[in-house]
Amino acid sequence: MAILLDMRRGKEQKNKWHIYEEIGTEMSHFNLSAEIDRYAYTNALSKNSPVTKLLFALSLLLISVLSPSPVAPITVFLTSTSLILFCAKIPLRFYLRLLWYPTLIVALTCVIIALFFGYQEPLAEVNLLGLRWIIFRDGVATGFTTFFRVAGALSSQFFLVLTTPMTSILLVLRKARVPKIIVEMSLLIYRYIFVFIEVMETMRIAQELRLGYSGWLKKLRSLSMLIGNLFIRTLDQGERTFTAMSARGYDGNIRVLEDLPKPSNVALAGIIFFAVALAIIAYLTMDLRIV
Amino acid sequence: MHIMEGFLPHPWWEIWFAVSIVVVILGVYKLKKLTERFPEAKPLLAVMGAFVFVLSALKLPSVTGSCSHPTGSGLAAVVLGPAIASVLSAIVLLFQALLLAHGGLTTLGANIFSMGIVGPFVGYGLWVASKKVRLPTSVGVFLAVALADLSTYVTTSVQLALAFPSTSFMDSFITFGSIFAVTQIPLAIGEGILAIFLFDFLVKYKGKLLSAMNVIGLRVGLQSQEDAK
Repeated sequence: MAILLDMRRGKEQKNKWHIYEEIGTEMSHFNLSAEIDRYAYTNALSKNSPVTKLLFALSLLLISVLSPSPVAPITVFLTSTSLILFCAKIPLRFYLRLLWYPTLIVALTCVIIALFFGYQEPLAEVNLLGLRWIIFRDGVATGFTTFFRVAGALSSQFFLVLTTPMTSILLVLRKARVPKIIVEMSLLIYRYIFVFIEVMETMRIAQELRLGYSGWLKKLRSLSMLIGNLFIRTLDQGERTFTAMSARGYDGNIRVLEDLPKPSNVALAGIIFFAVALAIIAYLTMDLRIV
Repeated sequence: MHIMEGFLPHPWWEIWFAVSIVVVILGVYKLKKLTERFPEAKPLLAVMGAFVFVLSALKLPSVTGSCSHPTGSGLAAVVLGPAIASVLSAIVLLFQALLLAHGGLTTLGANIFSMGIVGPFVGYGLWVASKKVRLPTSVGVFLAVALADLSTYVTTSVQLALAFPSTSFMDSFITFGSIFAVTQIPLAIGEGILAIFLFDFLVKYKGKLLSAMNVIGLRVGLQSQEDAK
């Protein structure tokens, strides 16, 4: 219970992370995970039923991964992006910040696939300084479909990630009869990830204030001290939490009031209708070729 | 090595899911038994999980639809055994997909297979073997963790090459493998060195629990503990 309450203090966390941002840390990934977590609790759709959101995101994800042509993934991308921006009211800047990096990597990868892979039908021949380079039709096709498939899948993943708090996903898992030990370990790991990040940031700031990162050698020394102590500190804190919880009657079950909102039938019907329509579109456009 | 959401085409992600789920279920069974006997091991298990999360989130981009980073699952396998390490990795990979959009839900099976199954089993195998031939503990830990990391990436290359064969499977395996190798060999060595220190620390402070859990060799655990005293 204490853990859950701790997790729900979205606002306090916000101020804290804000301070860290101002000091300017380089550990951007971890700030990112804290920020995503914050949006998951505070977005405009956070009060909707997690079952609905989970169902929606997973069905779109499956359709865009299974669809052989790019039409369905593009539809998925547009739908979930507009839901993220207009219904969940996630700021455009933050969404773009999340999106640009994977998109760039996937685009690069798909260009490589298009240029180097494939062997069936030559599409074009390029003369590069005397080197003959053949680009194949199936390679280009694979590159294109892969790019759009990833775009569709990523956007539906982001929809789930940005609108649904981790605790409600875990509560849904518990209702779905996932083994108790998994849910419990997940809750503990979830908590300790943030303990880890917090301990790390605190120590980093302390080191930085003492000019621990002012030179290359000092940086190396400080970093190794940081990593070594990080584990010790986190384990220590984790054990103290565990002792405190055991003293209060913790027996492996974290009992919380499951005040999850009920899924509305209209929303469920709408999702099923949309998913079926998308699946039909994916089926009809199966033989569509771009190149 | 997290393969991005949607990057694996149709038959492959289902296949990896089917393979991984068997081992994870076995791991859940073992985890359940372990925590029933030793509830006090839970913080250690969870911190280990968080450690795997943090290490494998330190990623460098890579143009293979994936990325390069230390994995952390090798150390978890040495300390907790490979089956439990695979459950922890599965939970961590799910979290990374949901908290960082790092890796994906459909590619979860493939990612569990490389980071949570092949890595830990290779690492644990090497750790047991190195104890058999009486290598020093630190060398054993280093080898286990560094090679667990590398074998994870070899597996990812295999997975990518199977899904995207160019002229032949081998061709594409070499392409993906060589892209990974550039960044991964130094990262694996770094992770191995880090693991030596952490293992030392764990044996010193948690040696009793670990040898009671009977997951690390009794002799190694107790010996180092006495050394510490």
